Amino acid sequence: MTVRPLVEVVRLGLVPYKEGLRLQQVYVNRHRSAPVHALLLCQHSPVYTTGIRHKPYPGPLLDQLRLLGADVHHTNRGGLITFHGPGQLVCYPVLNLGSFKKSVRWYVSQLEKTIITLCGRFGVEAASSPHTGVWVGDNKICAIGIHCGHYVTSHGLALNCNTDLSWFGHIVPCGIEGKGVTSLSRELQRDVSVQETIPHLLDAFREQFNCQLTEGETPEPEQNFGVSSA
Amino acid sequence: MAMRAALRCLSVNLSPRLPQLSSAAQVSATRLLCRSGFPRTLSTDSGQCTALKFTEKHEWVLVESGIGTVGISNYAQEALGDVVYCGLPEVGQRLEQMDEFGALESVKAASELYSPLTGEVTAINTELAGNPGLVNKSCYADGWLIKMTIEKPEELHKLMDQPAYDKFIKSLEE
Repeated sequence: MTVRPLVEVVRLGLVPYKEGLRLQQVYVNRHRSAPVHALLLCQHSPVYTTGIRHKPYPGPLLDQLRLLGADVHHTNRGGLITFHGPGQLVCYPVLNLGSFKKSVRWYVSQLEKTIITLCGRFGVEAASSPHTGVWVGDNKICAIGIHCGHYVTSHGLALNCNTDLSWFGHIVPCGIEGKGVTSLSRELQRDVSVQETIPHLLDAFREQFNCQLTEGETPEPEQNFGVSSA
Repeated sequence: MAMRAALRCLSVNLSPRLPQLSSAAQVSATRLLCRSGFPRTLSTDSGQCTALKFTEKHEWVLVESGIGTVGISNYAQEALGDVVYCGLPEVGQRLEQMDEFGALESVKAASELYSPLTGEVTAINTELAGNPGLVNKSCYADGWLIKMTIEKPEELHKLMDQPAYDKFIKSLEE
């Protein structure tokens, strides 16, 4: 009998990026006691984020991006600069790879395959490439950037459903020159919402990772009683 | 230092003749060099070198003259994929055993590195800034990450030797 790992699906709704980071940390910390896997789903208000290779993005450049009305965040994930905003399905699997396979290379490939399958369900032909992420021709439809510590994953993927792609025009997405971005809506020439996409993502994820999914409870937003947090 | 030069010579000389030589065999060859005392440039102040020791997080440490050189194992570099960036600590940083001391990035994944011992960072491999792929190509030699002092030599005893580590990774693959 093969025991398939149980993954809790947590729907966060539209949250600022910082709140997404805080909630990921809550789920990462849960792994200290036992492997309790979670799949966080959300959308973010407009934000540009950078990864551990943040030197290509000096302060003045980031200030320019803030002037556009977006938030800017430096993170500990892999990958270069990217954009998150409404209409983009952001998924943060917080898994202990010990219950799956202890290889980040395998894990990232699994995420790519999950999205390729999902796109297939919509009739969009997507593929992976030497550049991590999921592509439709020369246009990236889904960005991936993760962090792994003590075999626990955080950060994840961002799939453009009906994102306003003009936000990407202000950066070289993921540092890859000469390539573009796309979305499910652009490829299908109709509006494809995050809501419509979620069930397909969950199906593809369950299949690719050979796991069981269960609905989790959304944690309470951080209560600020006027005391500044540490 | 002499040890490292010998290791480099070893990897260069062996590769053309024995293209199938695995990193594990490289390590065994290193130990052969130690025991036989060949070449003469290998003799160190302490008169003895130690074999590679491994952590469960797949870092290795090699001690010579009271300084530990740290890197990641072949198993680890394969599981990571092509390394594109090495985030390393500052020289002088003090590390406790199992402290996170940096991260390697590959396939858009940042994976943390954990210190095998307690000590102070004395050097970082500056070659990796321009050539991070050394971690994949030469994980036991040119792809070394940091050097550190050894504050608690007893910690070395708790680490795995080559045979124990080989057994450990076999158990992971099952």
